[in-house]
Amino acid sequence: MDEDYDCIVLGTGLTECIMSGMLSVSGKKVLHMDRNKYYGGESASLTPLEELFTKFGVPTPDDTFGRGRDWNVDLIPKFIMANGQLVKLLIHTGVTRYLEFKSIEGSYVMGKSGKICKVPADEREALSSDLMGLFEKRRFKNFLVFVQDFDPKDPKTWKDVDPQKCTMDEVYKKFGLDPNTADFVGHALALYRDDDYRQKPCQEALDRIKLYSDSLARYGKSPYLYPLYGLGELPQGFARLSAIYGGTYMLDKPIDEIVMEGGKVVGVRSGDQIAKCKQVFCDPSYAPTQVRKVGQVIRCICLLDHPLPNTKDALSTQIIIPQKQVNRQSDIYVTMVSYTHQVASKGWFIAMISTNVETDNPEQEIQPGLNLLGPIKQKFIQLSDVYEPQNDGTDNQLFISKSYDATSHFQTTCVDVLDIFKRATGEEFDFTNVKHNLEDQE
Amino acid sequence: MATVKIPAQKVILVGEYGVGKSSLFRRFANDTFVRASDRQSTLGLDNFGKVYQMKDTDRALKLQLWDTGGMERVASITSSYYKYSEAAILVFALDRPDSFHVLSQHLLDIVTYAENAKIFLCGNKFDLKSRIQVTDGEMEAFSEQCHNLMSGLYKTSCKTGEGVEEMFRDIANQLSETNRFVLKTFMSLFTLVDPDLMLPPGHPRPEIGTSAHRSKIELQSLEEARSFRIDQALEADENGPNDCSC
Repeated sequence: MDEDYDCIVLGTGLTECIMSGMLSVSGKKVLHMDRNKYYGGESASLTPLEELFTKFGVPTPDDTFGRGRDWNVDLIPKFIMANGQLVKLLIHTGVTRYLEFKSIEGSYVMGKSGKICKVPADEREALSSDLMGLFEKRRFKNFLVFVQDFDPKDPKTWKDVDPQKCTMDEVYKKFGLDPNTADFVGHALALYRDDDYRQKPCQEALDRIKLYSDSLARYGKSPYLYPLYGLGELPQGFARLSAIYGGTYMLDKPIDEIVMEGGKVVGVRSGDQIAKCKQVFCDPSYAPTQVRKVGQVIRCICLLDHPLPNTKDALSTQIIIPQKQVNRQSDIYVTMVSYTHQVASKGWFIAMISTNVETDNPEQEIQPGLNLLGPIKQKFIQLSDVYEPQNDGTDNQLFISKSYDATSHFQTTCVDVLDIFKRATGEEFDFTNVKHNLEDQE
Repeated sequence: MATVKIPAQKVILVGEYGVGKSSLFRRFANDTFVRASDRQSTLGLDNFGKVYQMKDTDRALKLQLWDTGGMERVASITSSYYKYSEAAILVFALDRPDSFHVLSQHLLDIVTYAENAKIFLCGNKFDLKSRIQVTDGEMEAFSEQCHNLMSGLYKTSCKTGEGVEEMFRDIANQLSETNRFVLKTFMSLFTLVDPDLMLPPGHPRPEIGTSAHRSKIELQSLEEARSFRIDQALEADENGPNDCSC
């Protein structure tokens, strides 16, 4: 490793792997290292199942759970928005050819009285849904039509709603939506985790609702996709992209120091070896003194031998528990995938509950989620601090990504990646640098 | 015009750094050879597809060959490299016994991550006649030790091109044979499906609990289980809605 590089990337989580891929494609000489002996860092899918038990210090199981290597268990539960940023990145970089996907079958939301209701996937479902009354449905439909036609560039479509000035609360009022519907729109469609957005200009909320409905339109049953063999396939795909564009990979490499000189990054030290470079990209765990804690997330992995109750035996689901229903500040997310995604042994299901920690007793906080799962065969709980970089890296050339947050999809991750790329290179990523096949190359 | 899509089969190259995997890939892709290991020459190369026409039939098959991208140089290859592959070629250099003896480790990775892949053994650098240190006997012994997991043994030289095309053609033939067998089994499954399933519209549905109902559910669950690739799904979108009216 005693060589000169343009960029050194530390950690092989999804953010760092996308970064590494984009840098290599842009012609940079990249060294990509990880202290672990596997790819993926926090966004790896653990396999075989024994690894998961070992990680949490639980004695490894007998053959109850079937063959251990049929399991690929994510540590961070996320789905992919079918029309979101990550899909665009996957398509434009060609990484999608390494992956196969399935649609998540059902998206649910907990409504009044603790009952879970399907988030309507089409007009027919919306009309028969018991989420809202008949008149409310009409108002809701008018609202959806407005969102669908809304074009920020064309004031004629605004219907007197200025996206930069008008707050979302005012939009709800304009369409006469009752508090329950507004709650449903904000949390199950716009996927906000708290209610801060209601006092802000409505542009972002309208974009999010549009993303939801465009994603839904893509493959049908829900707006979400999930890759076979688990989310850990995503960082691996981008790592391959980086490698075929010349990136060098080193795993199982202890990282002892990010070497600075005159307030700027000059290299990375591992033992007595130093690799020189002009820029370093890493996740917060590689630069603990350069980040600040902004919160804490609790995630609970549950192994089940049945689908979730009241979801029509769907083999994959998401359930959102809006904060108001359970007197919280932030929503609780329940996600479930299963053996059909090649992440569990035949007949097994993996449910995950996650939310922002708000009290001293986080396990108690996720109880409303646990209540929806039915009998649980095995449960693992992890608390993770959420970090942000203290500065944007343009001065010292050390670019640190944000921790994975409690959102249920990768929008925030992609925004972070594209933003870091721009901070580091001074330009937007040029997708036309990607050659898709040999013919393009020659 | 309706075109019959030729099935593409993912074939991966596996083996130590420097045994000639990328050279095999180059030969396969455009029948060239680069003398010094010029990494630049494979930059951006991911996989390459080539159609093989089966002898004496109208069947064709597309081999989609994948190279490692040099990941094995210092780190290990990602497990996703192996996924979805129909065949794996274990490559070693005939003049480097170490690259041969380490193959059992690579074999383990293949059977772990690509359980159903057919495995082929390829000794490369056959042109280095006088420096060859791995004998045919040793290759056969290795194949026997692996409980005859090997579907074929080859010796190639990327430098001269000797044996390379023959190997890929043979692999294409073998995969084609397997495909035909699987297809036949699949078709025979359909003949077991209850004829009630092809009901005209408006016909009363089979009662719950009858065998027709059950097999309908099974068919549906087969349908549900289908996965897809985003890029292909997009292509399908662009080609207009399909004719499915269900």
